[in-house]
Amino acid sequence: MAELTLKQVRKSFGALEVIKGIDLEVASGEFVVFVGPSGCGKSTLLRIIAGLEESTAGTLTIGGKDVTYAEPSERGIAMVFQSYALYPHMTVAENIGFGLSLARRPKAEIAAKVAATAETLQLTQLLERKPKALSGGQRQRVAIGRAIIRDPKVFLFDEPLSNLDASLRAQMRLEIADLHARLKSTMIYVTHDQVEAMTMADKIVVLNGGAVEQIGSPMELYRTPATPFVAGFIGSPKMNLYGGETARRMNCTTYGIRPEHIRLSEGAGQWQGRIRHLERLGADAILYLDVPELGEMVVRAEGETPFAPGMTVWANPVEGAEHRF
Amino acid sequence: MRSVRPYVTGAIALAVAAVIFVMPFVFVALQAVKSKSEASRLDFELPEHWLFWDNLIAVFKARDYQLALAYFNSTLITVASVTILILLSAMVGYVMQRRKTVWNRVASIALFMGLMMPPAVVPTIGLLQEIGLFKTMTGMILIQVAYNLSFSTLLYRSFISTIPRDLDEAALIDGAKPRQIFFRVILPLLKPVTVTNIVVQSIAIFNDFTNPLYYLPGKENVTVQLTLYNFQSMYTSQYNLLFMNILLVTIPPLIVFIFFNRQIVAGMTAGAVKG
Repeated sequence: MAELTLKQVRKSFGALEVIKGIDLEVASGEFVVFVGPSGCGKSTLLRIIAGLEESTAGTLTIGGKDVTYAEPSERGIAMVFQSYALYPHMTVAENIGFGLSLARRPKAEIAAKVAATAETLQLTQLLERKPKALSGGQRQRVAIGRAIIRDPKVFLFDEPLSNLDASLRAQMRLEIADLHARLKSTMIYVTHDQVEAMTMADKIVVLNGGAVEQIGSPMELYRTPATPFVAGFIGSPKMNLYGGETARRMNCTTYGIRPEHIRLSEGAGQWQGRIRHLERLGADAILYLDVPELGEMVVRAEGETPFAPGMTVWANPVEGAEHRF
Repeated sequence: MRSVRPYVTGAIALAVAAVIFVMPFVFVALQAVKSKSEASRLDFELPEHWLFWDNLIAVFKARDYQLALAYFNSTLITVASVTILILLSAMVGYVMQRRKTVWNRVASIALFMGLMMPPAVVPTIGLLQEIGLFKTMTGMILIQVAYNLSFSTLLYRSFISTIPRDLDEAALIDGAKPRQIFFRVILPLLKPVTVTNIVVQSIAIFNDFTNPLYYLPGKENVTVQLTLYNFQSMYTSQYNLLFMNILLVTIPPLIVFIFFNRQIVAGMTAGAVKG
């Protein structure tokens, strides 16, 4: 059953069309990640779903109800902002309970629900503090608490982790994934970070220039990217992509091979190149090769690789891992 | 002996500041406690007899306790017009900052006109007479609101631009109506600039001399600044009572200033509202 459906949704700002007709179905309980470079329209699309931006054309249904023109509060959504958007003059408890107090619920009911939500997010000790007195991760949790208490059909996350430092980001990634597993609610998550997309999503929607480039599970996108854009966007380090004459020789317009699908040898192989630079990451190593017939090639090898900068080596693609577009 | 220099320059600066800011006040206070003949010399000599209470009572009793009425009138005008001003200009500033329409430009121009164009007295009196508000408290309050609205709105508009729009949107998703977004989320965050505004406007309105003089004639409508005329006439001037009156009129704004000094500076320099 589709919890959320977008049909030919378009958005223009004046003459500039930023969302160019998007169709999407999100199943109940699914964790969907919108990913793409900045300016691809992913945040705008999320804001259209939230009702903060009105679509120029198309329809949007949530839970089987047409909400294209509904007020944000009547759509059954909750949103977590990149800046958290906590009300600075209210305590944590007031922040979480603000929606309920607007709805004029009895004080006892609000207090009970706030306490339950705080319990879920381990915020009980912090309920009387102001947002100023919280750390980044705690503020993030309060913002999530404000969303949970609304008991929404769909959670919307707008790059919620981009203000956190790297280690906290990894921890919050896990917490959000845990939360999804526990609440089993539908979540839509916007990010430009493909690691977040790969690690959290049931389904990734890759957006580019206001249109959907490809929709699929993380491993589908990794194994069988539909376009060179998706191929280059998913995976780290990026896939080696070659166009022009090289690709034509391989009977395609773009030829791609992932760094982890190249084996190096000293003896013989398909391409010969010189190692320009070597990055050792511990578990593995990233080598940058100058290959005369291709240009630059990035190769991922095991951490204890015997090769060193300046050496000339042969590179071979792993059978069946090549991509031709 | 290089280390002495900062102290010397500091002392000189303090002395200059004292002459500029404290001397006039001392002068006023000194004349206020002298007898009539001593005060008419207008010098810094100490009085022969300290007549503080006598002068104070004389000033209050003058013209059938007019000063008390003046305090009441001035306070009423100040409180009412500042309240209306704060509410109106915060709301106008909010809408002008948040809602972008073609009317924004028109509204901005109107705002700057309000700042730059000097108010024309005679037509204003004509208008007030026409609508029956001349010589009334209501008329005076509306005049004060109109004259100060532009400045106040500009202050609010620039402050509101530092409040992230995300807060409005978060409240919208939480189910707040526009009115609730303003009163429950935005207005509480405007506290620093509101304090500044209250202080600046209430001092200006309380101390206003010319506008009540033009628009609020009549014995029963007297405001504090106008009571200064009581002791000054073409032929005789009772300087001791005049200066006592000045002293009394200066005290309320002074108290406001002393208490809100810190907040005023904070309001002027307050930047982004950090979550």
